[in-house]
Amino acid sequence: MVLAGLLVVGRFVLAPHLTDPALRTWATVFVAVCVQALPFLVFGVMLSAAITAFVPPSFWTRALPRRPYAAVPVAGVAGAVMPGCECASVPVAAGLMARGVAPPAALAFLLASPAINPVVLVATAVAFPGEPSMVVARFCASLAVAVLAGWIWARFGSTRWLPVPRRPAGHGQGGRWGSFVDSMCHDLMHAGGFLVVGALAAATLNVVIPREWLTAVAGIPVVSVLVLALLAVLLSICSEADAFVAASLTAFSPTAKLAFLVVGPMVDLKLIALQTGTFGGAFVRRFVPLTLVLAIGVSFAAGWALL
Amino acid sequence: MGAAVSGRSQASLLLVLGATVLAVSAFSGMYANYVRPGFRPALVAAGAVLVLVAVLSFRREQRAPRVAWLLAVPVFAIVLVAPPALGSYAARRGDAAPPPAADHRALGAGVTDLTLGDFIGRATAGGSLAGRRVGLTGFVVRAREGWYVARMRMACCAADAFVLEVAVEGASAPPEDTWVRVTGTWAPGRQPAIRASEVRPVERPEEPYELL
Repeated sequence: MVLAGLLVVGRFVLAPHLTDPALRTWATVFVAVCVQALPFLVFGVMLSAAITAFVPPSFWTRALPRRPYAAVPVAGVAGAVMPGCECASVPVAAGLMARGVAPPAALAFLLASPAINPVVLVATAVAFPGEPSMVVARFCASLAVAVLAGWIWARFGSTRWLPVPRRPAGHGQGGRWGSFVDSMCHDLMHAGGFLVVGALAAATLNVVIPREWLTAVAGIPVVSVLVLALLAVLLSICSEADAFVAASLTAFSPTAKLAFLVVGPMVDLKLIALQTGTFGGAFVRRFVPLTLVLAIGVSFAAGWALL
Repeated sequence: MGAAVSGRSQASLLLVLGATVLAVSAFSGMYANYVRPGFRPALVAAGAVLVLVAVLSFRREQRAPRVAWLLAVPVFAIVLVAPPALGSYAARRGDAAPPPAADHRALGAGVTDLTLGDFIGRATAGGSLAGRRVGLTGFVVRAREGWYVARMRMACCAADAFVLEVAVEGASAPPEDTWVRVTGTWAPGRQPAIRASEVRPVERPEEPYELL
């Protein structure tokens, strides 16, 4: 009620004054990021809730190799079949963990699926016509980062840093459908608020960073790669669209563009916020730097070998 | 407002958010200001799911963290600011799109309406525009000397949009951000340009962006 009241009052009292072009541009980008991510988030949350409510845990123990080291690459490759962007993969990975999938395997899936699914690869091929090596490099580098991160987490990770996401168990009122709705609502509340945090940050940077800064550093070999990696983190563009942005950064080397494509779907502001909401701060403080360093390192290697 | 979010407030948040998404996608064309038209069915479905979950979870008792209140921010942004499609402000500070691949189909004898992307592609490749009369539709961006007819090109959403702009010669500048149709012929030079024979204000098209 309070919400509706504020909206109505604001509409008539404030709205006529909110016409500054900078503010409106910022608001357009902010709303665009939210509106674009929302269907993917809802889709991911639904899939995740369905995994928790309807797929018995025994399915995963049969589908995935028992030893985490073997399960990681399998889960990474499985990421290739889920068409979606990074907003969908976070709740799905949480759902997998809640259902007993080893965290390293679920994390490999989390990193791989937004980068190597068919929709993203086709978009990359379209954005880089005549450069199939970019698609190959993106696929190989992203899968490698996902598997390496999974293995490193399997070796050094601690369960203290990654509490298995708490779920309303299947015994609530209303049986399976009841727990399906409960877990959807739970995930939307936790992930949704953080998605908005990420969108606020991404829109602000999108409007604030002067593009001339970028062209100034495009020619410097190593720095240009690090700058595009950082830009990927800040801009938080959906993985289905980032190839078009990378292709337009014509002043940069192919390796720098590859770093943009590998880092973006795995580490960005929106994703960091989403992961904080889903897995907690202790996890994010360790996993995000690990992924970022791996992604940049592998991009250098793949760029040198393939591009 | 500072406390953890109660069950009923969670449902209200989801309801308001879902209703806003439906208002933007199912009941108006406003979504086209933010994302490509192909997103519409997904948005309608997501809005409907949010409303449904809200209705079904009105009697939940679990509490949610405070950050969930932020779900109301996009609703406020949409209702209070009603953000329009990106216009001259974004065009002035944005990156120019790389020239699109040229379409080599020959143009007819009359006035042919081209997208700005097509015009810039042809102008960069040279040749196929010579002597042809074309029509370009876009919004006005005024510069220190002269003005441009411009449009944003997006791949997915407004966050990844780039600028397409064509300099207009031989006509005085209309007010900033008005939508115009410029008829004229290609003016070869350093940048893509059109020598205008007529500039007519038009309605903003339903799809304000050019799509990749």
